[in-house]
Amino acid sequence: MDFDKLDKIIHEKWRLAIMALLASRRSWSFQELKAELKMSDGNLITHMRTLHRLGLISVTKEMRGRPQTSYALTAKGRTSFRDHVAVLEQIVKQWKKN
Amino acid sequence: MDDRSRAKEDLRVIRTLMERATIYRAISAPTALVGGVLSILSAVLIYLSGYPESSVGRVIRPREFAFIWIDVLVLTVIANAFFVWREAKSSGRPFISSGMRLALRAIAPNLIVPALFTIWFLKLGFLGAVELELVVIWVVFYGLALLSTALFAPRSLAILGWAFLLTGVSVPVVANAVEGLPDDVPNVVMGLTFGLYHLIYAACAWSRKRDPGEQPVDE
Repeated sequence: MDFDKLDKIIHEKWRLAIMALLASRRSWSFQELKAELKMSDGNLITHMRTLHRLGLISVTKEMRGRPQTSYALTAKGRTSFRDHVAVLEQIVKQWKKN
Repeated sequence: MDDRSRAKEDLRVIRTLMERATIYRAISAPTALVGGVLSILSAVLIYLSGYPESSVGRVIRPREFAFIWIDVLVLTVIANAFFVWREAKSSGRPFISSGMRLALRAIAPNLIVPALFTIWFLKLGFLGAVELELVVIWVVFYGLALLSTALFAPRSLAILGWAFLLTGVSVPVVANAVEGLPDDVPNVVMGLTFGLYHLIYAACAWSRKRDPGEQPVDE
C-alpha cells in the first residue's frame, strides 16, 4: 500500500512545507523561512531540529555583524523529498484511475 | 480529510510553495559587469574616434556604430551563457531551467521591434542619420524586456528596467527641448544606460549575493 511508503517525518504538514521551500532554492535564512511560512520562532526551530537530527537538512551559522543561520537540503533530504513527492503522485494517480 | 485527498492537497501546497519561492534573475551580476565594462569601453572607443590622434583615426560611421553595439550584445550573451552553464553545473541543475524558459518567453516579444528596426537601420536607415532613434528603440525595449520579468525577478532587475525605460523615453523629449546637442548623444546614451546602469546593477546584485541572510536570527 502506497500510504505505508510515505515518510512520516516529512509527511507532517509544516515539515513538508519546509522541505518544499528548501527544495526550491539553494539555501534559506531562518527569517526568510519564518516569513514565508508565517510560523512562530519556537515552532519553526522545533521542526528544523527534527529535520536536522535526521540528516535531512544542513545548518550553516555565520557571523556577519549579526548571527545568521541558513538552512539547505542535504543529499539525503533531497532524495527523501523527491521520493515523498513521487509517492504522493502515485497515490493521486491511483485514485484517479479508480 | 482522507489520505488520498491529503496527498492531492500536499502536492498542491508543494507546487505553490516552490513556484512562489522561485525567483529568476535573468541578468546575473557577472553578466551585468561584463556588459557594463564592454559598453563603457565601446562608448569611449566611439567617442575618441572623433579625434585625429585616436587609434581608429577616423569618425565611426553609422553602420559601424550599430555593429560595434551588436558585437557588445553578442559578447555579453556569450558571457551570460557561460555563467549560466557554470552555475548550472555547480548546482547540478539543467542548463535550460524552468526559470530561464519562463524568462525567455516573457522577454522574446519585446525583441521583435528592436530587431526589425536594427535590420532596417543596417539596410537603409544608416543613410538618414537616425542613430538616436535606433538607440532610443534599443534602450526602451530593453527596459520593457526587463520589466516583463518583474513578476518573478528580484526587485533590482525591475528597477533596472524602469531606469532604462524612463531614460529611453526622456531622450527624445530632451533632444527636442535642448538646441544644439552634440552629435555623440546616441553614444553617450548607450554608455550611460548599457554601461553605467549595468555597472551599478552589478554592484548592487553582487553585494546582495554576498549577504544572503539580512535578518538577525532569534535562535
